[in-house]
Amino acid sequence: MRALAVVIALACFALAVLYWNGALQLAVSHPGPHHTHAIVLAIVGVLALVWLRFQSGVSSR
Amino acid sequence: MTFLQAMLLAILQGVSELFPVSSLGHTVLLPALLGWRIQRSDPTFLAFVVALHFGTALALLVFYRHDWMRIVFGLARSLVRGRVEDADARLGWLLVAGTVPLALAGVFLEGPVRSLFGSPALVAAFLVVNALVMFAGERLKRASALATARPLAKLPFRNGALIGASQALALLPGISRSGASIVAGLLSDMTHDDAARFSFLLATPAIFAASVLEFPRLLAPAAHAVLLESLLGGILAGLTAYASVAFLTRYFHTNDLRPFGWYCLTFGTVCFTLAIMKVIT
Repeated sequence: MRALAVVIALACFALAVLYWNGALQLAVSHPGPHHTHAIVLAIVGVLALVWLRFQSGVSSR
Repeated sequence: MTFLQAMLLAILQGVSELFPVSSLGHTVLLPALLGWRIQRSDPTFLAFVVALHFGTALALLVFYRHDWMRIVFGLARSLVRGRVEDADARLGWLLVAGTVPLALAGVFLEGPVRSLFGSPALVAAFLVVNALVMFAGERLKRASALATARPLAKLPFRNGALIGASQALALLPGISRSGASIVAGLLSDMTHDDAARFSFLLATPAIFAASVLEFPRLLAPAAHAVLLESLLGGILAGLTAYASVAFLTRYFHTNDLRPFGWYCLTFGTVCFTLAIMKVIT
């Protein structure tokens, strides 16, 4: 599951960059850069890293 | 759009965003019934809608301010410690799990879906479907009524994500976001009370994020033409949303979704009939 979290995070960050630059035009309503798509994908990427942290079992106790 | 129409739309938005009757469906059907000629893609109208959503989101934040304070601190604690140790943190991550599917669906599917389903006849048909979903949810809930109700604090993350994903059905105008998520909550063995609370908490980041992402529309030159309407409309939508959530949280202590189902069935059927008779277009 940790590997899956890393893959999801990397995929989301890569897609976010592509949408931000306008290089990816999948599921969009108009051509050009899609910053909203990029922001949402970046947030999901960060959440995947949070998931990874929880799985690593770090605890203060 | 006249000033009076703007204020009526603000009240309609504030009420129907939280009642399980589809705000989007009503903002398509009521103007059509009343013969209002509103250009929904006009930049001034879009700016006005952003203001209404902003007001609604603020009302929800204010209503659940104590919950959100606990949830934010719980999330922060769990991030620092690297594990979910308390009910507030768990509720926070449940809300995150529920918000991600809706955010992805909203960003990637909203444009294509909305362009396909804009006519009053289809919206009215989806309002009838919304009623049937609520009736089915109540029937299934009653069938499993002997099972122990699952408290919100013990909801599995998978179910939280599924409840969040169910909100994506509301991209179809006529399907209610809160209706779909409350039904999904009931099917996850939650009580009406908890399902409604989780639905309203889920609505807050969804509406707020949508408002923030669309906020530049309010600063566009076209928005200056509707500045007063946007400001007063936002306040009015916020006040009515606050009153609605206050009413609904009490309502779901002892009541269920069926009255809203009957309303959607009746209103949807009438509007569908009028639409296919070309009385409304």
